[in-house]
Amino acid sequence: MQISLQTYRPIILKFQSLIALLLLCITIGVLSDKFFTVANGWNVLRQISVNICISVGMTLVVLTAGIDLSVGSVLALSGAIAAGLLRNGIELPANNLYIGFTVFGAIVAGILTGSLLGWFNGWAITRFKLPPFVATLAMLTIARGLTMLWTEGFPITGLGDSFTFLGTGWFLGIPLPVWISGGIVLVTVLLMDQTRFGRYVYAIGGSESAARLSGVNINRIKIGVYTLAGALAAVGGLLVTSRLDSAQPNAGTSYELDSIAAVVIGGTSLSGGRGSILGTVQGAVIIGVLNNGLVLLNVSPFWQQVVKGIVILLAVIIDKSSAKGE
Amino acid sequence: MNQAFFPKKIPLFALIITLLIFGGCQKTSSENQPKQVAVIISTLNNPWFVVLAETAAAQAKSLGYEAKIFDSQNNTALETDHFENAIVSGFDAILFNPTDADGSVVNVLKAKEAGIPVFCMDREVNSSGAATSQILSDNYAGCVAIGKYFVQTIPKKPSGDAIKYVEILGLVGDNNTWNRSKGFHSVVDSYPAFKMVAQQSADFDRNKALEVVESILQAHPDIDGIFCGNDAMAMGAYQAVMAAGKTREIKVYGFDGALDVIESISNGKIMATGLQSPETMAKTAALYADDYFKGKRDFPQKMPVAVELVSQANIKDYSALIK
Repeated sequence: MQISLQTYRPIILKFQSLIALLLLCITIGVLSDKFFTVANGWNVLRQISVNICISVGMTLVVLTAGIDLSVGSVLALSGAIAAGLLRNGIELPANNLYIGFTVFGAIVAGILTGSLLGWFNGWAITRFKLPPFVATLAMLTIARGLTMLWTEGFPITGLGDSFTFLGTGWFLGIPLPVWISGGIVLVTVLLMDQTRFGRYVYAIGGSESAARLSGVNINRIKIGVYTLAGALAAVGGLLVTSRLDSAQPNAGTSYELDSIAAVVIGGTSLSGGRGSILGTVQGAVIIGVLNNGLVLLNVSPFWQQVVKGIVILLAVIIDKSSAKGE
Repeated sequence: MNQAFFPKKIPLFALIITLLIFGGCQKTSSENQPKQVAVIISTLNNPWFVVLAETAAAQAKSLGYEAKIFDSQNNTALETDHFENAIVSGFDAILFNPTDADGSVVNVLKAKEAGIPVFCMDREVNSSGAATSQILSDNYAGCVAIGKYFVQTIPKKPSGDAIKYVEILGLVGDNNTWNRSKGFHSVVDSYPAFKMVAQQSADFDRNKALEVVESILQAHPDIDGIFCGNDAMAMGAYQAVMAAGKTREIKVYGFDGALDVIESISNGKIMATGLQSPETMAKTAALYADDYFKGKRDFPQKMPVAVELVSQANIKDYSALIK
């Protein structure tokens, strides 16, 4: 018994969130015969694709021992900028000029918006040595306020079929948002495993002073990480906007909590240096399956929140005890 | 020595000068300037409340008063700050949309103590006599009307099977959520043929409603109707129904009177909504403040503002709204 536990322990540790996910799926599957259907599977994957976009960026930030609370607001502003430009373009009455935007142009503008806000987060954190919690908390309200200013508090709707295709379309039998989030995961995994940038991100989270002494340009890496997080939040914003055919001024409220939950459930340590993108993806799937399953089983909305909180708590407790064992 | 000298003195000078300016200003304002009206709004995060706030401010201005909008951001603590600021800076009346029926009572009482009348709009505070008057939309009665239209418009099944429907609730901690739900159920529950197969919350949010209804449609692909506690959720629910290709089988009903839903009703996509007019409530509140300034003191404690049913049957009367 002792020997078999010793042999299997590393494997159990490595796949703990996968095992948890499997158990969750089996439980819901037994309770509802509607869970294991192809249509429901695509449903869950499409619903979590926004959270995956945000959470991948959040993982990078958390790996450097930082946090980004502004992702929900950045998502809203990027989506609103893209929708506004697509719908109304820019009018410059002073120069008697009107600039219209194509779908592609609006998408680029949205992603640029997110990158710029993310870059600003990174710049403020490295330049003024602000705690990431504070700097991104400030950005959370700044970006939300800018969204209100840009939209004047009203949703921007009627964005056209080619833009809504992004969030509602299918390609080769798979929903487009799933392609997009899957592509983002693939590229980021390669970035983290195969490039110097990825190794530096882990190194900074492990020990910032050690990384500095070995000549890593910490500020540049950090700014890069926050810029990427902003850009990925913007992609999430474009997906939400396009799915709803509408940029809502209050879109993405409290999304930062869902994405931090995904990161934590996926086994990434909030103190940095330890964790992985694929772990976060599993965390996001667990949250998505939980959301979907609780509705399928018609669990009361009051209990749903309690259950989600308990799952997050359990995930962290298990993760902590396994980290001690290592 | 000099360095130690300056930082001590400068703030003192600044303080004295500020006090001088501030005191001077207040004196002239009470004598010469028009009365000031504060519009304190629970949130500007939702177009409906933006209309409420802006109409109230515009109406007060057109009556010759100064008006300023404060955004409480759904945060009762921030609302307290706004009240304290409004009292200190000498506002003469407050047009108020509370963040919380119970939590906001203290704020209203504080203004009452300071002799400033408070007129509640749309949402109430749970205390009689605290506010000068409460101008409220009648959520319960509005949803009774929706419930009646609901049972009329969903046909009985020839087979005699139960009619299955779904209710999407708003924020489960909100008074309006339950007033609407109770109004709706007070009618529909007395029809045994109607069976609610799922009741879920989507927090008044379009995206959440889309996701929740997508999941519900997996569990219950054979439902006949969806009642949503507000219009944003009705739009989200309709998108889920459309994506599932079931717009013929499933009828969607909302509440609020949002413009995109009224447009959807005229296109035959959504069945009905309750139009609560933020303009009517805001204008009434501003007119009450005007009466108060002119000496009137006896106001009705609660002034219900009717919710109009906008449906497939009467949408023609509302086509001017979506122009």
